[in-house]
Amino acid sequence: MRVLAIDTALNACAAGVLDAGAGQVLAEESLTLERGHAEELLPLIERVISRIDGRFSGIDRVAVTIGPGSYTGLRVGIAAARAIGLAAGAPVVGVSTLSGLLAPLVATGERRIAAAAIDARHGGVYLQAVAPGGRTVVAASHLSLRDAVRFLGSGPVVITGSGAAVIAAEAIEAGVSVDLSLAEVTPHVAWIARLGAIADPAHALPKPLYLKGPDAKPQAHARVARR
Amino acid sequence: MRVLGLETTCDETAAAVVSLSDDGRGHIRSDEILSQIAEHAAYGGVVPEIAARAHVEVIDRLVERAMDNAGLALSELDGIAAAAGPGLIGGVIVGLTTAKALALVTGKPLIAVNHLEAHALTARLTDGIAFPYLLLLASGGHTQLVAVRGVGDYVRLGATIDDAIGEAFDKVAKLLGLPYPGGPEVEREALKGDPERFALPRPLLGRPAPDFSLSGLKTALRIEAERIAPLSERDVSDLCAGFQAAVVDTVVDRTRVALRAFRETAGHPTALVAAGGVAANQTLRRALERLARESGLRLVAPPLRLCGDNGAMIAWAGIERLRLGLVDDLSAPARARWPLEETGPRP
Ligand SMILES: Nc1ncnc2c1ncn2[C@@H]1O[C@H](COP(=O)(O)OP(=O)(O)O)[C@@H](O)[C@H]1O
Repeated sequence: MRVLAIDTALNACAAGVLDAGAGQVLAEESLTLERGHAEELLPLIERVISRIDGRFSGIDRVAVTIGPGSYTGLRVGIAAARAIGLAAGAPVVGVSTLSGLLAPLVATGERRIAAAAIDARHGGVYLQAVAPGGRTVVAASHLSLRDAVRFLGSGPVVITGSGAAVIAAEAIEAGVSVDLSLAEVTPHVAWIARLGAIADPAHALPKPLYLKGPDAKPQAHARVARR
Repeated sequence: MRVLGLETTCDETAAAVVSLSDDGRGHIRSDEILSQIAEHAAYGGVVPEIAARAHVEVIDRLVERAMDNAGLALSELDGIAAAAGPGLIGGVIVGLTTAKALALVTGKPLIAVNHLEAHALTARLTDGIAFPYLLLLASGGHTQLVAVRGVGDYVRLGATIDDAIGEAFDKVAKLLGLPYPGGPEVEREALKGDPERFALPRPLLGRPAPDFSLSGLKTALRIEAERIAPLSERDVSDLCAGFQAAVVDTVVDRTRVALRAFRETAGHPTALVAAGGVAANQTLRRALERLARESGLRLVAPPLRLCGDNGAMIAWAGIERLRLGLVDDLSAPARARWPLEETGPRP
């Protein structure tokens, strides 16, 4: 199975094609950018796909990061993935950015708790953590820094993601052993492809995983009194 | 020639297929519109993040439905168009990215359409009129009088210096406790009311430049309403009727001035065209019809379904541009702001 993976959730604009059977990345490109994903993504996918025999007809599945991450970034990647799936007749699956970050840690047979944390700003993080063997310690959620550290428990913890450093600072203060040496800021698109290859299309839907509400308040109507 | 058009600049997600026949006329082959009114109603207006979230959930399904209803496969299209602005950027990005991805996979050209240009060209889809014509564009976000001289050739004669007309209707509705969106509600109330009971101002009436100002009118209405509060049903109807009458008088006067300016700069117009959500207002249509007749012109106002935001107008603008070879590449930007005058062929 050939998987086209797309990631625009965080500071990367990336796409790659994985031959899942052979475990081989056939083409990939990743740009680091804060903004401008909407302008960069499709030309980038065009460059990647031009290196694949049969172009889109050689693609069996599309995988995309669904978040958490930048709301706009998520929508760029998901809109592109869903439209590619529609036009190429390929199923589209969603992969969480936190799972994408955790995958390389879990794959090494890590013996500690593995955590992925993404900076959610305003003193919050998006956190997901698993124990050795894959048991969930913290399901993907939006947490305050303090709660994040509390939920990670007594450690030891190996942590990755843009929120790793702030959590580590707080956790180390609380006496927990935290390893930051493997921390990455964005998931590697090859891991998104690998997770996408084993995902169940019936459940891994390509829908945004914002983990936060839209931050809008019903308006207090400045209306004139009526009888 | 067949083009798919996507529209996501505000609170409607829309996809449509329009084809061009040999005689140069456009035909709407399918026209899917999903309104988000329910999602925004509690907020009394469009919340950009809620709109963007809704667009991305449904746009691909709407494309599928538009293609099915047109009886066409994506591979049978000649181009893929999307509104690339102006509008709420989060939504624009969803529609434009979807179009880019479809264009990339199918190998068809992408047309990044200006939403205002699509409104401006709709009269050529519905009535096949020739250039040049005078356009009154009045929607929730825009109020302009434009000399439409050709595709990508627009001269703005006048515009609002504060609120858009649709926005003013919406604000008045909110003030009077009517549901969102306010335009149709105010029109319904006005039908029952006395337009003469309240003496409301006609801002800029008689001024030599065909500009609009709505905020003073809105404030005057608020002062009247507060003066007589609490409002009875009757009061609300009379206030709506008074407001609508003031808007109609202003629009007719400003349009008359614009017609004069048009003749001085662009020659004789083939028609007076009204477009945008406010063009759905029947009292305004009748007044514009009278003005057009007085001036020896035809009033062209799209059917109600094409007054508001829709995909057919984007697809049609896509056809108009595509047949002139005006296509865009996959890095075309989504633009929150994009004046009509900047839609000409890029140097
Ligand atoms: N019958 C009407 N009378 C006056 N205004 C109306 C009427 N119907 C719709 N509108 C107004 O038109 C606007 C919506 O038009 P639309 O073209 O969708 O605009 P936009 O995309 O700029 O919001 C709203 O402000 C609405 O209140």
